[in-house]
Amino acid sequence: MDYEIVMGLEVHVELATKSKLFCSCSAEFGAEANENVCPACAGMPGMLPLLNKKAVELGIRAGLVTNCEITRTITFDKKNYFYPDLPTGYQITQLYAPICRNGHVEIETEAGKKRIRIKQIHIEEDAGKLVHDYLPGSSLVDFNRASVPLVEIVSQPDFRSAEEVVAYLEKLRSLLTFADVSDCRMQEGSMRCDVNISVRKAGSDKLGVRTEIKNLNSLKAIVRAIEYEAERHITALETGCEELVQETRRWDENKGETYSMRDKEDATDYRYFPNPEILPVHISDEWISEIRNSLPELAHEKYERLTQSLGLSDYDSRLITSSRNISDIFDRTMEYVNNPKEVANWIIGDLASITKEENKAYDEIVIDCEKFGKIIKMVESKVINRTIGKKVLQLVFRDDIDPESYVRDNKLGMISDSGYLENIVKEVLSENEKSVSEFKAGNQKVIGFFMGQIMRKTQGKADPASVNSILMRELNNLR
Amino acid sequence: MDREFFVSKHDAKAENAFALDDNIMVRGGLTTAGSKMLHNFISPLQATVVDRLLAAGMELAGKTKLDEFAVPGISEGTCDILSGAVGAVAEGVCKVALCNDVSGKVRRQAPQNGLYYIHPTYGSVSRFGLIPAVSSMDQIGIVCKNIDDGFDTLGMIAGHDENDITTFPEKSYAYAPKEGKFRIGIPSNVLEEADEKSKELIYDFAGKHDAEETELKYFEVFSQVMYILSSAEIGNNTSRYDGVKFGYRADKFTGLNNLYTKTRTEGFGPDMKLLSVVGAYVLSKDNYEACYLKSMKIRRLIREHANELFSRFDAIILPIKLKDPDPYKNLALYAFATLCGLPSVSVPLGRNEGIQLVAQAKNENSLFGICKGGR
Repeated sequence: MDYEIVMGLEVHVELATKSKLFCSCSAEFGAEANENVCPACAGMPGMLPLLNKKAVELGIRAGLVTNCEITRTITFDKKNYFYPDLPTGYQITQLYAPICRNGHVEIETEAGKKRIRIKQIHIEEDAGKLVHDYLPGSSLVDFNRASVPLVEIVSQPDFRSAEEVVAYLEKLRSLLTFADVSDCRMQEGSMRCDVNISVRKAGSDKLGVRTEIKNLNSLKAIVRAIEYEAERHITALETGCEELVQETRRWDENKGETYSMRDKEDATDYRYFPNPEILPVHISDEWISEIRNSLPELAHEKYERLTQSLGLSDYDSRLITSSRNISDIFDRTMEYVNNPKEVANWIIGDLASITKEENKAYDEIVIDCEKFGKIIKMVESKVINRTIGKKVLQLVFRDDIDPESYVRDNKLGMISDSGYLENIVKEVLSENEKSVSEFKAGNQKVIGFFMGQIMRKTQGKADPASVNSILMRELNNLR
Repeated sequence: MDREFFVSKHDAKAENAFALDDNIMVRGGLTTAGSKMLHNFISPLQATVVDRLLAAGMELAGKTKLDEFAVPGISEGTCDILSGAVGAVAEGVCKVALCNDVSGKVRRQAPQNGLYYIHPTYGSVSRFGLIPAVSSMDQIGIVCKNIDDGFDTLGMIAGHDENDITTFPEKSYAYAPKEGKFRIGIPSNVLEEADEKSKELIYDFAGKHDAEETELKYFEVFSQVMYILSSAEIGNNTSRYDGVKFGYRADKFTGLNNLYTKTRTEGFGPDMKLLSVVGAYVLSKDNYEACYLKSMKIRRLIREHANELFSRFDAIILPIKLKDPDPYKNLALYAFATLCGLPSVSVPLGRNEGIQLVAQAKNENSLFGICKGGR
């Protein structure tokens, strides 16, 4: 029997505002525990919520880049539940008049293009974070994240495979990072995803029992959890060994399985009601068009620019626009080296491989683009050769050294003095008579060996082009 | 008179001093909202009204006792406990006292003690620094012996506050008694339920103006609507008191749920518990539409009705108590102003009696004028 998996996604994205949703505390990630906390976001009585206009603007942006309708009068509601990370005992969210509705994004998988419909996007506040067993037997709470603004992007149940889910999340990340809505870092929790999943017999139009999977912290976890959960549903349907119930399940990364989060007894009734402390907010046509006009260049627009105006290849352009960070590094480096092809080569060849060696993601690369540009220029103008250039780049990446003084202090300047190089070439050839005779016998491969030897004798500083021509001349003389 | 209602701050001169109900914050001072739950709560901030009164040269006399979180208490005896704000002004320890009279208790007790109570238009006075009870109805008002002092004080505290986005944009208001003859509506359906003395006072008082009988629609459900909506909001506003962060925490507990239940069982009084339970009930999935939403709809109808009434009248006159002393039924008398965010003034008349006048939003000056006799 063939089965079809049906999934819908709820994606939480932290908005890139400087301050929190309802107070002026910093919303920055990575502060000391409870550093960014005031009476309001600690849930103390007497403070009244002051709505952050920037958060509303970013909510509108999120809607614009996902083709949503923007709601003209938005309201906020209170969602009640007790949990120690929720300082007031209620979360301020939008139930009745969410900021965006009825959007869609295009995704691309091996099967081709597909449209994923977005039901709604709403703004809400984040909760704090519990730290367990920092002191033995007790839990501590950190309210830094409490009241940081989020949008929750709710899709329609349009997904049929884990591949589509991943493509959608990557698309959202691209849209939202390029539009400056969020930095969308799953590892820092600024992008989180819950998957609603059900399974039905292929061809059926009735949906199966739905479960919701939470605690998914990486794309890898999402794929594994979907595979696990789909398999669990199918086995249950086939063998009847387990009755499927509508419930919330958590993903256990270590065990590689999902488990039921709470029993029915605890089924929460959130007792939503309109928040009387926040008056309805009217969103004017003018404001929307102002935001639309100020949208930064999105990934697909940038791709067009790179391929059409700058003449980069499809492959290079895709890679550069796959990450907002890489794309910014490209633009900033271009300010120093106006040679798109060369900058692209350095990013895709050298910077990407260094990033891999350092075990980092593209989004985590931090590099001084002026220094990066200087290295490219030094290679371009033959001050250093490419091999040295890559080494210097590695040092800039790791230790942020100054490339020019480093090259000068360590005498890494390229050697292109032909008399000097000729002597080295002759020396190498006379030291390796065996290889010379192999060359004479027609073995071309030894050329690489000679090059390596010459580079070693010059500490890698020789101009490869000069060496190559001298070497070939000498070898041909010997023939 | 029981003096326990008042905690003196320092030796303020009564003629220039104000008192605050203990749900209004003074930075660095204890603010308990009359609840064990906040028995140790030191205010991290200062209410805007306090800043403004101090800036205007007034002196803080001290804090006054209130019913727990100023909620509409209907449990036995609650209604009879004297409001600290009323007591302090009646005793002459301060010129005015500020409080949040959601329940209407002060609106009844002030005239009974020979005092006025001014309940301003919702949105004219900042609630920053007021411990919230019913956010859509909370409004800081003024107890005073002399109506001029009351409006003087209101002039000092009213006006937009950037810390309270529900305040109107007006920076300040000029309060002065309006002159002329006033059209006063006497809701006969309400008067049917009032005692004879109140009726007499009302006809006497209104008789000095252009009085006309009218009907206050939906009066029969005012108490229900009031209680349902306030329980929902109170339950929500007090869910932050959970023993985790500040305020009272139960001594011994086993696990998180026990911490919550024990803390809240020990920390809240009977009226708060009742309201929390009712609040959870009216907002629950199964009852939301029938209770909360329906009440919101009626509230809107009452507002529309108020607009209609105030196209014909400058003020509606109401008794301050019903024949039936049941505190729940009596809530209806104060619900009109509270539910609709309208200004009202309770006026002392005769011996321990009085009436209340309700006007259109931002029309305090008509009330002031009527109090001053009109013409």
